[in-house]
Amino acid sequence: MRMNHPGPDRSESTTGSAEAALDGGWCRGWVAAWNSFWFTPADPLPLAVIRIATGLILAWSCLVWLLDADAFFGDRGWMAPDQVWRMNDQPWQWSWYFKASSPTMIRVGAGVGLAAAILLTVGLATPLSAVVSLAGLVSAANRAPLNVFGLDDTLGLLLIGLVVGPSGSCLSLDRLLGGAGQGRAEEATPSVRANVALRMIQVHLCVVYFFSGAGKLLGASWWEGTALWGAIANDLYRTLDLRSLAGHPLVINALTLATLFWELAYPALVWPRLTRRLFLAMAVAVHLGIGVAMGMMEFGLAMITANLAFAPAAAIRRWLWPLSLRRTSDSSTPSGTSPGFS
Amino acid sequence: MTSHLRISRDNSPAIHRGWSAAARTAATAALLVWLTAVILPPLAGPAPASELASRMLQPLRPLVGALFLGHGYRFFAPNPGPGHSLLWTMTMPDGSIRSGRIPDAATDRPRLLYHRRFMVSEKIAALVPPADAPADVQERAKRDWQPLVKGVAMNLLRREGGLSVRIDTVEHYLPDPAEVISAAVTSDAVSPLGTYAWSEGSAP
Repeated sequence: MRMNHPGPDRSESTTGSAEAALDGGWCRGWVAAWNSFWFTPADPLPLAVIRIATGLILAWSCLVWLLDADAFFGDRGWMAPDQVWRMNDQPWQWSWYFKASSPTMIRVGAGVGLAAAILLTVGLATPLSAVVSLAGLVSAANRAPLNVFGLDDTLGLLLIGLVVGPSGSCLSLDRLLGGAGQGRAEEATPSVRANVALRMIQVHLCVVYFFSGAGKLLGASWWEGTALWGAIANDLYRTLDLRSLAGHPLVINALTLATLFWELAYPALVWPRLTRRLFLAMAVAVHLGIGVAMGMMEFGLAMITANLAFAPAAAIRRWLWPLSLRRTSDSSTPSGTSPGFS
Repeated sequence: MTSHLRISRDNSPAIHRGWSAAARTAATAALLVWLTAVILPPLAGPAPASELASRMLQPLRPLVGALFLGHGYRFFAPNPGPGHSLLWTMTMPDGSIRSGRIPDAATDRPRLLYHRRFMVSEKIAALVPPADAPADVQERAKRDWQPLVKGVAMNLLRREGGLSVRIDTVEHYLPDPAEVISAAVTSDAVSPLGTYAWSEGSAP
């Protein structure tokens, strides 16, 4: 089954053009490939779905920041403002909390971040809410470096894509309020900006998996196939007791090696259509597993959200509107491609 | 191999429908800067890290800092190690003793709040060398972890209203499968991180 949205004559023309480009020289081939990769218009639907999921996770994260705002961002919190330089790169890692001189100001700052995340979720004033959401995330993370972890890295990755792309062009209040003449809520004109944004998330995600996998190669337990036990036996992470696996070392071995191979191979094998489904399915399994067994559900959901950048718009449309898609003809769906590769 | 890539012609209608050549050139420049800012940080740290990547990263520090891109992405690497918590024992104004731990799964809810507090103990413990490390290593490391522990102490004193607080780091023993099967009794390693009181001029 094809995973890309079947764009107009994409396969035939692109293969031929690659050869044509190569005839014109190696450099021209690279330029053509680069332009095709980044600047082919794409359906913005996956970006809109990513926006909603990111907005929900970010809003929840903002609420949790607010639960103990003085400890996270206050002068007498976990880390005094004059000590932040010890853990991040001052003055470049800016934060609006550095200007907050009172508990009220801290709550106003956190409240602005929460409001922006909610607006981002519903898609109201989306370009502005995406920028403010990113500023809120960066402010919180840079002010409280003792308290951040992979969730914040992933939300940052997603928000940069949402700032760049037209994530409010469908499935949004912006779309709804923009007038009835724009067609159904899930439809929007394919655009280069949507493609650039999705590509940025895809490439960044591959960088994350590459370095995460490469870092594991430094550890003996990953080579020995015992690393997963280290996560299972760690009582500070445990939310699902899997210690019964102690009697099944080969299962632990297989799971460890599968995780390592998946992470290392992801940057290469998520692109071909043949292997993409397998790698995305493994991503869902690994991240849900981390969420359920280690209590990091927000991180797991954020990583799965980032993986949605590889999901073709047609498939997302099928999941969201299984009946309406059958009613509509091909001509009524956006003609842009989803940014896959081969 | 390159010929197997399915790419569109540079001047194909699909590409030109969007952006002009000038716009694509400008976007390409911006994307290359962004790509460099994404790839260099994990090469530049944590250790082992590349000196070249670290030097190349210098001019990009404003961008990396502003967009929160400075990550190593080495999740559970090189090996998933033992977890760490902080134990605190506080003397209250009436002379009573109060104690607790960071993180505390029983009280730190929701789970995301627990994780945000868990990171405090994990990041501080990462700076504390093993008890058998040479004295000069211990002393150097103390200059890094002590200001952070002091911040934790001040936060606890503010929250609980105490006079002084003693803080220990606990390395939770990571049992191997055989120890779990035999239900072996194991003990955690506790390292003292000092006792802290309100300093002059910083009373609650």
